Amino acid sequence: MELDSNTLLWLDEHHEISLDDLRDLSGLTLDELNYLIEHGALTPSDASRQSWLFSSQHLVSLRSLSRLKVDFDLESEVLPLMLCLIDRIHNLELLLEKSNVKISNQ
Amino acid sequence: MKFKDYYNILGVSRDASVDEIKKAYKKLAHQYHPDISKDPSGEEKFKEIGEAYSTLKDSEKRAAYDQLGSHSSGQDFTPPPNWRQHFTQENASFDDLDLSDLFAGFSRNQAHGRHSANKHPIPGQDYELSINISLEEAFHGSTMDLHFEVQEYDTNGQLKRVPHAFKARIPKGVTNGQKLLLRGKGGKGFNGGPDGHLYLNINFKPHKYFRVNDYDLFIEVPITPWEAILGATIKIPTLDNPINLKIPPGSDSGQRLRISKRGMPRKQADSGDLFAILQIHVPKNPNEKEKALINELANASTFNPRSDFD
Repeated sequence: MELDSNTLLWLDEHHEISLDDLRDLSGLTLDELNYLIEHGALTPSDASRQSWLFSSQHLVSLRSLSRLKVDFDLESEVLPLMLCLIDRIHNLELLLEKSNVKISNQ
Repeated sequence: MKFKDYYNILGVSRDASVDEIKKAYKKLAHQYHPDISKDPSGEEKFKEIGEAYSTLKDSEKRAAYDQLGSHSSGQDFTPPPNWRQHFTQENASFDDLDLSDLFAGFSRNQAHGRHSANKHPIPGQDYELSINISLEEAFHGSTMDLHFEVQEYDTNGQLKRVPHAFKARIPKGVTNGQKLLLRGKGGKGFNGGPDGHLYLNINFKPHKYFRVNDYDLFIEVPITPWEAILGATIKIPTLDNPINLKIPPGSDSGQRLRISKRGMPRKQADSGDLFAILQIHVPKNPNEKEKALINELANASTFNPRSDFD
């Protein structure tokens, strides 16, 4: 069985997915995703569009958030803060990795 | 079936209260949760902890687990004959069954009623795999055979672990650390439920010649002292065909030469660049003629790289 190209989604800043896709793939409910949007923790690529699209890389953080929510019985109120912290950790890890590569290439 | 001592896994006694079980779980989860822990064995350990907690926090499941009796972890055992009648479907088979699968199926039966369970759509599970690919595979794109084990429902609605294999196309232009989602390539759904998804984490294997930073490649290029002094055109490898690199006269060790768009391909823009880092190598055992010529150069040259020293 070989994959066709429709099966594959790149999870990075260059690709976008819909809110329904985020709901289907992240494990979070639509209410929880809307709560994250209302509190500024999750932002659409272009908020002026009628149907919002989101960078597909959000899915990586949202899946972590969803796992933590289930595994630690987290309340909805803490989800925006958790997502901001997860994103910050991901960004810092990326920065650290790039700095290490830069040092090794010097 | 192998026995797992869920009480021992959580570090609680068999008569522990639900609160004690929850407290023990949270303490261990903080330590081993894959989104928190950097321990490579943390994920496996967390699965074990989660499996124990999901069984012991539920009074009905805990009662069913307790009635399996007490055995040593890893010991082969068979549930008592009356256990099957009370807690599973009549035609459920325990052959090749894992204890976690047994209680996962038990949970589903509880949620939907034992007799209606066969009709309720159940989505397949998501899986996450990390794969190591070569720079050449990332550069050109490749097809990889993926093999892993998934949990699927058999015709009786019982979870079983089955091998799952397919060919995955790794597209040209992936980066180190790239994440890809393969829709519908996780565990099979049951009763019309959608199939789960597969998340792939792409890591690059170390390369013989190249290091990579985002889309840029770096290669150390050894050159001779006379190539550095006089300049030269030399052949160097790339991830595609070899190219001719012009070394300018008077090049130094550590000098970088940028070869535009010869790095990793980028999906939305031009390819990255290739940086050749020159390294002047000297002959370790020069022959007599080489020694004589170098002596001649030393005597004739006025060059002093230490002229700035006091």
